[in-house]
Amino acid sequence: METLVALSSGFAVAMTPYNLMWSALGVTIGTAIGVLPGIGPALTLALLLPVTYGLEPVSAFIMFAGIYYGAMYGGSTTAILLNTPGESGSIVTAIDGHAMAQQGRGAQALATAAIGSFIAGTIATLALTFVAPLMVKLALLFGPAEYFALMVLALTTVTAVLGASLSRGLASLFFGLALGLVGIDLQTGQARLTFGILELLDGIDTVIVAVGLFAIGETLYNAARYRFEKEEIYALKGSKWMGKEDWKRSWKPWLRGTALGFPIGALPAGGSEIPTFLSYLVEKRLSKHPEEFGNGAIEAVAGPEAANNASAAGTLAPLLSLGLPTSATAAIMLAAFQQYGLQPGPLLFDNNPDLVWGMIASLYIGNALLLLLNLPLVGLWVKLLVIPRPWLYAGILVFATLGAYTLNNNVVDLVILWIIGLLGFGMRVLDVPVAPCVVGLILGPLAEQQFRRALAISQGDPMVFFTHPLSLGLLITAALLVLVPVVLKARQNRREQDAQAQI
Amino acid sequence: MTTGRSLKIGEAGLGAAVLALGAFIAFETSQAPGAANAVVGPALFPYLISAGLILVGLALLREALTGHIAHAQGLELDGIAVVLVAVGLIIQMLLLETLGWIPASTILFMVVARAFGSRKIVKDAILGLALTAASFGLFNYGLDLNLPVGSVFEELMAGPDDAAE
Repeated sequence: METLVALSSGFAVAMTPYNLMWSALGVTIGTAIGVLPGIGPALTLALLLPVTYGLEPVSAFIMFAGIYYGAMYGGSTTAILLNTPGESGSIVTAIDGHAMAQQGRGAQALATAAIGSFIAGTIATLALTFVAPLMVKLALLFGPAEYFALMVLALTTVTAVLGASLSRGLASLFFGLALGLVGIDLQTGQARLTFGILELLDGIDTVIVAVGLFAIGETLYNAARYRFEKEEIYALKGSKWMGKEDWKRSWKPWLRGTALGFPIGALPAGGSEIPTFLSYLVEKRLSKHPEEFGNGAIEAVAGPEAANNASAAGTLAPLLSLGLPTSATAAIMLAAFQQYGLQPGPLLFDNNPDLVWGMIASLYIGNALLLLLNLPLVGLWVKLLVIPRPWLYAGILVFATLGAYTLNNNVVDLVILWIIGLLGFGMRVLDVPVAPCVVGLILGPLAEQQFRRALAISQGDPMVFFTHPLSLGLLITAALLVLVPVVLKARQNRREQDAQAQI
Repeated sequence: MTTGRSLKIGEAGLGAAVLALGAFIAFETSQAPGAANAVVGPALFPYLISAGLILVGLALLREALTGHIAHAQGLELDGIAVVLVAVGLIIQMLLLETLGWIPASTILFMVVARAFGSRKIVKDAILGLALTAASFGLFNYGLDLNLPVGSVFEELMAGPDDAAE
């Protein structure tokens, strides 16, 4: 009941014409950047941080949330009509969605993606509405030791579940943690790793790292691969509506995708890749036509698209109630909270209910707007796909340097941006995931703070992390997540060697 | 063009770099003056992170040497395009505060477009100019953020006043 009262006052905030405008702007930008290859929600939020500094926090976060949701919708358009996924959450959609487009069923694929996204987004936002206050109650039980353990868990899961190799993920994570060290230590005032450079005393800005990795690194990689990759765009033709059969085959995957997406997004497990992959596998297992998967099965578009929207809502639950980012985009949102001097968590719900509930309410509105933008108006977005790549990437770099420069109005930031961009390119070539780096950069200093606080309270006794049952449980989970796959792999290797020895 | 062999070298380089970064952070931290009054000083986390980097670096080196590399089938890369983009960014950095945002970023726009195979130099220049001028107007007059006008132009504009004094 309490929640419904809070939500309705949130609607009062979100429904003011001024905030409606920001919501509409957010979902429009979000859809556009979702459609455009080479630019995603994390990068867009990072670029908008300096610009939104003067804005009311409520309006800024309503816009940010709109961008986050919008990108999930827009990504599917690119995945279906072009053979490159616009966002990492659309990788799975691209497989069957593109096959459908080749068969002239692109419109149906887009429709099931948009309607599925709407249904999943709405159900998941509803879940967020009721889960977030519960998580706040949980957060009240947390002391510094538990927060530290939770952050360790988040850092390990983001690393362990992404990418092909654990050591590559860990390299990215530790690099991010190392970047987070740079600057003045807040508790003792001592400068760390600043090499006497004045501009480094404030630390390396999250925006610079995110823009460097996501814009500069990605553009360098795309420049390197541009000559060798062919893009094919499929025009929309034939009937624009889903047939009876399409509806029949879509509605269950939508619901199952939602059921997978929200909880996995809410767990500190990171991003939308896992729920979308799981959804694909589940649909394939349950389908009456598993042979169609890979050749244009509508279930394989409906399920994963629902899952990725639901996971976006899921990600917001730990972000708002615990201050815990579980994806790169959420990490940038946390940086946005810090920019306004706000700390997500139970206090935010108490002190800024307008902000929290206004943002949650705006998600319902944003979802409805997005359905409108992406179903009848999808033809407009398709036009974005024909922007010549040279101009698209040149434009991305102009805006990336613009965002980095306007942070502090100095060229040193551009130099750091360049260095991080080149490192990002190297990481991309060597298949090192970049998300752990961004999450590590922002969570590392917070984890250190909680760690030192916990030890100050326990008067230096390090056992505090193991004697608190919640903290112990979280740390054991984190250790298992790293160790179990390693042990399993070692066993598999040994078995293979045994098998070879027998031959 | 990059073959599996140079990727393997790159992979080993990654391991070595991570290892070196870990050692470097440990060294830097050991050089910093310690803070005595805190329960946990500012040095503990840097040491933990450098230990992590060193371990991961060793693991990466081992993977590279045993042949577990990404893109085992080889990955073709257009080195010239990468260099063009990187140089374009340097040119922008060097010219930004003297020539100003609009010319410096127009050059960046043209260089990046060229790296992606564009041969329409005039069109690229016009489009780049339009984009950078629009962003300059929006930021300096609409958002009160200062993109540099360029010291050269500032002097030109200030020129007559200086002469009068």
